[in-house]
Amino acid sequence: MSRAFDLVLYALLISCALMVIRTKDLLAAAIIFTTYSLIMCLVWQLRGSPDVALTEAAVGAGVTSVLFLITISRTTRRER
Amino acid sequence: MRRAFVIALLVLASVPLLYGVGQLPPIGSTDNPTYTHVVPRYIQQAEEEAGAENIVTAIILNYRGYDTNGEVTVIFTALVAVLGVLMITRSDSGPSVPISPVPVSPVTRFIVRTLSPFILMFSVYMVLYGHSSPGGGFQGGTIVGALLIVLSLVTESADVQRLLPPAVKVWLQPAAVLAFGVIGIAGLLLVGSYLAFPVEGDLVFLRVPWLTVIEVGIGVGGAVIVASIFWAMEGSA
Repeated sequence: MSRAFDLVLYALLISCALMVIRTKDLLAAAIIFTTYSLIMCLVWQLRGSPDVALTEAAVGAGVTSVLFLITISRTTRRER
Repeated sequence: MRRAFVIALLVLASVPLLYGVGQLPPIGSTDNPTYTHVVPRYIQQAEEEAGAENIVTAIILNYRGYDTNGEVTVIFTALVAVLGVLMITRSDSGPSVPISPVPVSPVTRFIVRTLSPFILMFSVYMVLYGHSSPGGGFQGGTIVGALLIVLSLVTESADVQRLLPPAVKVWLQPAAVLAFGVIGIAGLLLVGSYLAFPVEGDLVFLRVPWLTVIEVGIGVGGAVIVASIFWAMEGSA
């Protein structure tokens, strides 16, 4: 069961990573990257490192996403 | 032609990498170098030697204290760099433009304002209980920073920034570096070397207060740095 859940998480991680590269809309890319961080947070927790999971949730999914969003709102939304 | 060159380069680069991965010891084997050097000592003696029930905290703040000292310096330097770059490129074109053209929904504002005391309480818990449970100064501090950011987004940013007058902010931004400096020099004077924690003798009672000072310093410094970077970027239209 746990093994199957791991595989689902890894599949989601890899597909999120590929989507971030392929998306031309930077706002969508930033939001997919947030999803990547949230899944990564679950992986850290399942691998037995709650400290890293907390950091990933706070920094990866929280603060960096906001900083990406400000940067997009201050520059442009489309990748050229 | 160029595409073929890139693919050839990637294949070439993957050969040593895959060879290296193949040489790694099997996952979970008890003979792995990661389990045979210092780890048994950390697991058996961290609590009595370092004074923290959470082994991760004992390693981060005590055994590997120099590393963490360097890391907080890196984070502070990052803030200085961001502020420096924005200071050069800042255009003094009147009041800052709002980040989103859509006004904030009253529902969002209500939820954020209702939850914020609980978020603050959770982060204080995380900072203070970091030495006995997962968490610690950095995680708790980042949550306070994120709280300040989200409050700036849903209410008037200027009102939130008024919580930290510039004269106070300047001293809170390097709080983590300062806390490490103070504890490091205290260790130098009382124990004998920089950032040394007393292991035995009369001074052992100092360990938990010292750990707490460092945790609170990292928490306050982290929170103010995260929020300051946000405010600096938000103000630069």
